Parts: sequence; C-alpha cells; structure tokens
Amino acid sequence: MSILEYNGAAMIAMAGKNCVGIASDRRLGMQAQTVSCNFQKVFPMGDKLHVGLAGLASDVQTVHQLLEYRLNLYELNEEREMSPQVFSTLLSNVLYSKRFSPYFIEPIVAGLDKDNKPFLSGSDLIGATVIADDFVVAGTCTGNLHGMCETLYKPDMGPDQLFETLAQSLLAATDRDALSGWGGIVHIITAEGIVTRELKGRMD
Amino acid sequence: MARRYDSSTTTFSPEGRLHQVEYAIEAINNAGTCVGILAKDGIVMASERRITSGLLAPAKTSEKTYKLCSHAACNVAGLTADANILIDQARIYAGKNHYVYQDPVPVEELVEHVCNYKQAYTQYGGLRPFGVAFLFAGYDKHHGFQLYQSDPSGNYSGWKATVIGANNQAGKSLLKTEYKEKAPSVQEALMLAVRVLNKTMDGTAASVEKMELFKMTVDDKGKCQHHILTATEAKDVIDSVVAESASAGDS
Repeated sequence: MSILEYNGAAMIAMAGKNCVGIASDRRLGMQAQTVSCNFQKVFPMGDKLHVGLAGLASDVQTVHQLLEYRLNLYELNEEREMSPQVFSTLLSNVLYSKRFSPYFIEPIVAGLDKDNKPFLSGSDLIGATVIADDFVVAGTCTGNLHGMCETLYKPDMGPDQLFETLAQSLLAATDRDALSGWGGIVHIITAEGIVTRELKGRMD
Repeated sequence: MARRYDSSTTTFSPEGRLHQVEYAIEAINNAGTCVGILAKDGIVMASERRITSGLLAPAKTSEKTYKLCSHAACNVAGLTADANILIDQARIYAGKNHYVYQDPVPVEELVEHVCNYKQAYTQYGGLRPFGVAFLFAGYDKHHGFQLYQSDPSGNYSGWKATVIGANNQAGKSLLKTEYKEKAPSVQEALMLAVRVLNKTMDGTAASVEKMELFKMTVDDKGKCQHHILTATEAKDVIDSVVAESASAGDS
C-alpha cells in the first residue's frame, strides 16, 4: 500500500479562454472504508487563486494551513496579492524543504494572473513543478484523468464549456477508481469572480 | 550621579530606576505624535506625518500605520528601524498562532508577546532597548475592540484613548476633558483625533499631508476592515473639525 493512496483523491485543473477551472472529488476514505463524502481538497488562496491538494488527508490539511500562513505573511510584508506563479514557487519551496521527510501530497495550482491570463501548475510530493497551458491532474486515478482530459479538452473554452469538460472528465475517471469519487465539486474562476458547483455522481 | 548607573541597561540605579529605558522613552517624545481612540463601533488611530524632505519618495501605504494580521494593526512612534523588527515579530507570532490553533490570536496575547520581546532587551544581553512606542488596535471575539499602548520597557496597558510621541501630555489633557464616558462613534472619534493632533502640532495648520487617519471596523459578516482614509475622506474630517471650531468661536 502506498501512503499516497491511503485516503484517495481525484482532481483536475484546466484552462479556458481567460478562465480556469479546478475540480475535485469529495471522498475521504481509510483504504476500503469511506469516512466522509464532503471532504474539502480544493482551497481558495485568494480572489483568483485555488490550490488542490491530493494525497494523505492529514498533510492536505496541514499543507493548506501552512500555505495560508506563508501567503498571509507575504501579503503583509509586500502589501500586494501573491501571483499564481509566485504561489506555485512557494509551494515547491515548502515541499522541497521537507525533501527527506516529505508531505505526502500531490498539489495542483490554478489561478488567473493580474492580466487574467490562466495559470496552471502541478508538482510531485517533493516540489518538482510543471507548468501547463492545458490541464493538470492529481490523485489515485491519474491514468484515467489524463485519458479523459486528453480526449475531451479543447483550447479556448468558455466558462460554461470548461465546466462541462471538467465535470465529465472527473466523473468518468472516478467511476473507474474505487478510492475516489463519492461526489464532486467544480470551481470556475473568471475575471468576474468564482462560480462553484457541486456534482451529483455515483456514490460508490 | 545618574551617569554611573546609566550606561548599562541591566543595572538599576540606587533610586531603583533603569536609566537606559528612561532615555529610550525620551527618544520617543521627539517622534511624530500618534493618538488612538476607542469608539463604540471601532477604533481610530491618527498620526502626525513628519515630512523631512520634499525629495523623499512616498512610502508604500504608510510609515506610521502597520497591519499585523487580519484583526490587528499598530501605530509607531519612535525609531522606525527598531519598529520594523518588532512588527515582523508580531506578524510572525500572529500568523503562527493562527496556524497552530486555526483561530485568530487574542489581541492582548499578541501585544504581550511583543512586549515580552521588548522586555528581554532591558534585562539580558547588554543590548540597548527598542526606541519604539506602539499603539495597538485590534478586535477579537473575547473582548471586542481594544486599544493598547506599549513602551520600551515592555510595559503595556489598555486604554479608551491615549497619545504617544511629541507633546503627548498636551494631547492627553485634551482627551481627559473631551472623551466622554459614553464611547463616541467612529466618525466622532475621527474628529476628536484631529482636534488632538491640532493641539499637539500647535502652530502648524491641520492639513491632509500632515495627518494620517486610520480606522478599524467590523463589517456585517464579522470581518475586520482596516482603512487608511483617502485624501478626500481625511479632508472631509479636517474640514468639519475646522468648521465646528469656527462656529464655536462665533457663539
């Protein structure tokens, strides 16, 4: 058993035309047993920035709280909002600082920079970051997620079409994974604001 | 006589005084005035802006008012370099506390932490004390809006209204007569703060460039709002104070 598969997760972040979306499942399990169907794995870090954390639930919560602490300190000292690129680098730095006793998480970052251009990045548990212009995935069914996204993704989708693509990719991928699913949540971030929708899917 | 006992912070004089600490307090009495007033729906802090040179680049947002966390801010009187160290300390402490407890740090705890740090420089290490006095303004669910004053000795106390910096005695005496038993509204407190600054800055006419007005309130969602008044808003307050005193003079 891998520690990264103990609790189960599935998440996707995808870029559209002047918008980004980030979606995750809601399951919290302890191996085979499902404990919660509304566990939060995607966290708002600013008006136009979200971070999704897949992996060991304890580290998901701890890393989120740590990132919030670091972000708040940055904004107090710099007197400005942290851009998604800088946030992604901060996250990488935090993870690498624990290179030899890592946080067991796979994070993805989705946001709009100050010109409302989409920003996506994903990294591994020790902070190796990859910046993408289409989509990033994380969780216990990344094979399924990659397959679904590669098939359904088109560049320059509008917010509504982006939502449909994210929702269908997530639901189809998690349906073939025992450890993820039990509901879904999708956030679409545009210059105007954030729209959040909950997905009704198979609860198994 | 004092000279034998005043070069080391860690030595008491025969009269039981710490001269280095007292000299640090003297340094602050030459700094720009800050006044803090507790209102019933918020806190007001006003400070004197000392413009030493026209060539100076304008500060980011302020060189007197600093945000410490989402629910606390402070005003500085004294050596800005010393203040920066303490403000960093306060920000880190508030952030770490929130990280550990997932709850906003109680304001008094934050103040006490900064003051304990200051106190250490009056007892250990042979280092000089910090030449800074603070006015802390904060809001928490335990005690609502709170105003604290601290000095280089590491001592602090809670106030309904107080003044630090140059001419603080004149400011305090004005507050003693004008601060009513019933706490003022934020708007009334702003006007009272301007009147206090007028008195401490006696001679110079009140103007937007020379004063900085800050208010802390809570919105209807319970979230703390920090606001340094814009030039227009500050001008409105100053104008209404001037108008009030002009009409008072007539009657």
